[in-house]
Amino acid sequence: MKMEEMSLSGLDNSKLEAIAQEIYADLVEDSCLGFCFEVHRAVKCGYFFLDDTDPDSMKDFEIVDQPGLDIFGQVFNQWKSKECVCPNCSRSIAASRFAPHLEKCLGMGRNSSRIANRRIANSNNMNKSESDQEDNDDINDNDWSYGSEKKAKKRKSDKNPNSPRRSKSLKHKNGFSVCTSASNTLPLLFSSSGELSNSDPFKYSNSTGISYETLGPEELRSLLTTQCGVISEHTKKMCTRSLRCPQHTDEQRRTVRIYFLGPSAVLPEVESSLDNDSFDMTDSQALISRLQWDGSSDLSPSDSGSSKTSENQGWGLGTNSSESRKTKKKKSHLSLVGTASGLGSNKKKKPKPPAPPTPSIYDDIN
Amino acid sequence: MVVSKMNKDAQMRAAINQKLIETGERERLKELLRAKLIECGWKDQLKAHCKEVIKEKGLEHITVDDLVAEITPKGRALVPDSVKKELLQRIRTFLAQHASL
Repeated sequence: MKMEEMSLSGLDNSKLEAIAQEIYADLVEDSCLGFCFEVHRAVKCGYFFLDDTDPDSMKDFEIVDQPGLDIFGQVFNQWKSKECVCPNCSRSIAASRFAPHLEKCLGMGRNSSRIANRRIANSNNMNKSESDQEDNDDINDNDWSYGSEKKAKKRKSDKNPNSPRRSKSLKHKNGFSVCTSASNTLPLLFSSSGELSNSDPFKYSNSTGISYETLGPEELRSLLTTQCGVISEHTKKMCTRSLRCPQHTDEQRRTVRIYFLGPSAVLPEVESSLDNDSFDMTDSQALISRLQWDGSSDLSPSDSGSSKTSENQGWGLGTNSSESRKTKKKKSHLSLVGTASGLGSNKKKKPKPPAPPTPSIYDDIN
Repeated sequence: MVVSKMNKDAQMRAAINQKLIETGERERLKELLRAKLIECGWKDQLKAHCKEVIKEKGLEHITVDDLVAEITPKGRALVPDSVKKELLQRIRTFLAQHASL
């Protein structure tokens, strides 16, 4: 009964619309009433007018709409051109560079301590190496003076722990420097016999050159037997790349050697033909060639240097190539001695001092 | 007959309201309306009007009735048309859905 009466299907649209309007009106009234109650409560509790401010401060903080300014009225690039005076060094520094400058100036912060540690390590290593020079024959064979080493620029990316140029002779000495190797980028020593230490501070970058003014004749000789040595026009330094470096021609290399070592200077690569021969040498042939070489080694330094190189290169082809490269310099004496007994003995001989006084070498052979 | 007709209408309305509340639609509609009114700035306008009324009547002596009498007509008038239309639409939908009670 009632259900039927209350059925909406019998109603026309106008009635439905009227009902809808009524419902809507009720809802709006509810909202208004709710709002009134909120306001009344706010008034009675005293917080109704809290968000109002006086007109003066309203004007102060009005939104700014001028070109070149933000809505607070500030200029955009204001701090870029401003300069501050450093309290430490009393210099005027640009504002954007002020924080890094202060870090370095005061010596606080990660980078500055890193640099300081590196410097300490460098100075320590240099002192240490200088004092040990007399003791360790390895150092005697150093080709590079400290002055040239310092001048050479070094980048961390040039360091390659697996590079054959790393010297092993200095490894045992430089416990301290190895710790700081991560931050140490200055090459300080170039170890004897052309090897470069695996300890990083002593690595010599291939990308830099050598100043030949500071080198002694011995050093020059050994240098020229292993490296290109062509003097660059711009930097007046010798090229430190290999003897076959593509940047310089053989003519240039010959010129340099003649200039330094006299007209008798021979380009190491001239003897390259010997390499092929030596590659096929048997042990007996090795002995013979070595004896011949030893006999003439000290008479003409350049020859000895070049022949050394060729021998090394020959042996290098027969043996581990990386090792041969390492034994390019005077230490090759001993390495060849070692190879008579076995090709794998190169390693054994390396740490031993090459003993530049040649009588000692003959002693070993004998 | 008129009375019965009116009674029928009244009963009808009562039934519809009951349905609205039972299904929870009324609450939903109310929330929707409130949100929309805040969004369109209706509340802020009305608040400004309130402040004037209160300043006029005096902060201490304002009563609920005063406020209601002053504000409700203004409030009803200030509702934007879009909000009104949307709400009516929803109500009609609801009625259509529940045509057969």
